[in-house]
Amino acid sequence: MPKIKTKRVGVLIDMTPLVDVAFLLLTFFMLTTQFKPMEEVQIELPSSNSQFKLPESDVMTLNLAKDGRIFLGLDSQKLRRRLFGEQNELKASIEVPKDRLADMLIQARTANPKLRTVIKGDKEAEYGLAEDVMNILQKTKITRFNLVTNLEQN
Amino acid sequence: MSGGGGGAPEPRKHGKAKKRKKGRRLGIRIDMTPLVDVAFLLLTFFMLTTSMSRPQTMEINLPPDADIKVEIAESNLLTLRINEKGEIFWSIGIESPQRIKFEDLRKFLRERAQTNPKLVTLVKVDRAGKYNMMVNIMDELNLAEITRFSLAPLLETDKTLMAKVQS
Repeated sequence: MPKIKTKRVGVLIDMTPLVDVAFLLLTFFMLTTQFKPMEEVQIELPSSNSQFKLPESDVMTLNLAKDGRIFLGLDSQKLRRRLFGEQNELKASIEVPKDRLADMLIQARTANPKLRTVIKGDKEAEYGLAEDVMNILQKTKITRFNLVTNLEQN
Repeated sequence: MSGGGGGAPEPRKHGKAKKRKKGRRLGIRIDMTPLVDVAFLLLTFFMLTTSMSRPQTMEINLPPDADIKVEIAESNLLTLRINEKGEIFWSIGIESPQRIKFEDLRKFLRERAQTNPKLVTLVKVDRAGKYNMMVNIMDELNLAEITRFSLAPLLETDKTLMAKVQS
């Protein structure tokens, strides 16, 4: 027994394949990851069984916060600079008062007609707010929009 | 592992580099442990922070003009009223509303949609109700394959109707 123990000199494992795989995965995750843009408000999404996926680009988000504030978010920085001004271009969304929302929506749509409208409402937000926003959308001729939800877990 | 790695380069230190500059290259062993450590650290970081699934969405199409009036028979109109507490009441035509539990709604809607394919659903949610409630109701409607429904504001008369049933 003691002989065997003394014979064990530092075991060298060739780690190259391990490193290869690790780096492969690392690069994959680094390239595919998208950092969540800094949200101005925390929004807890309701859940549904809907299967539609959120479109990847050209999205205009209307965030309805718990406290009744509305935030307008755009995914392209260029458009944000045009609409929100230089000082707000890095913010993912800005607060918009209800009476100015129609204006902003029209401006955004003229700047990029391909924009898809998405409503991101907080679970606890009042329905009245959503109703108002939908009325505004209808007035500005945005008759097609999506409601963002989580997938229901059951 | 690091012990084994640290021991290996020891004999090479003694004068090998000085004397044989162009001599045959012995397999160089680099201790890769720290490299692997860092790689895995970053890997776990990116794996945990990345979010693979994009959120789901529900698509809604509004009629282009709000003022279009559609005439429908009273018996084909199913009204769902939701009060601020999230309680659901249903009624056909101008009948007095009846309370229904959210869990039974799916089955109920499916039955209704099957027995009367011409059914038009009207959803009235209290302004003080939760947005979550509306999404849930719409989800149930979608699941019951009622894809055409309308949203209408809940009026005072609806509130009194619901209050009557409760008391």
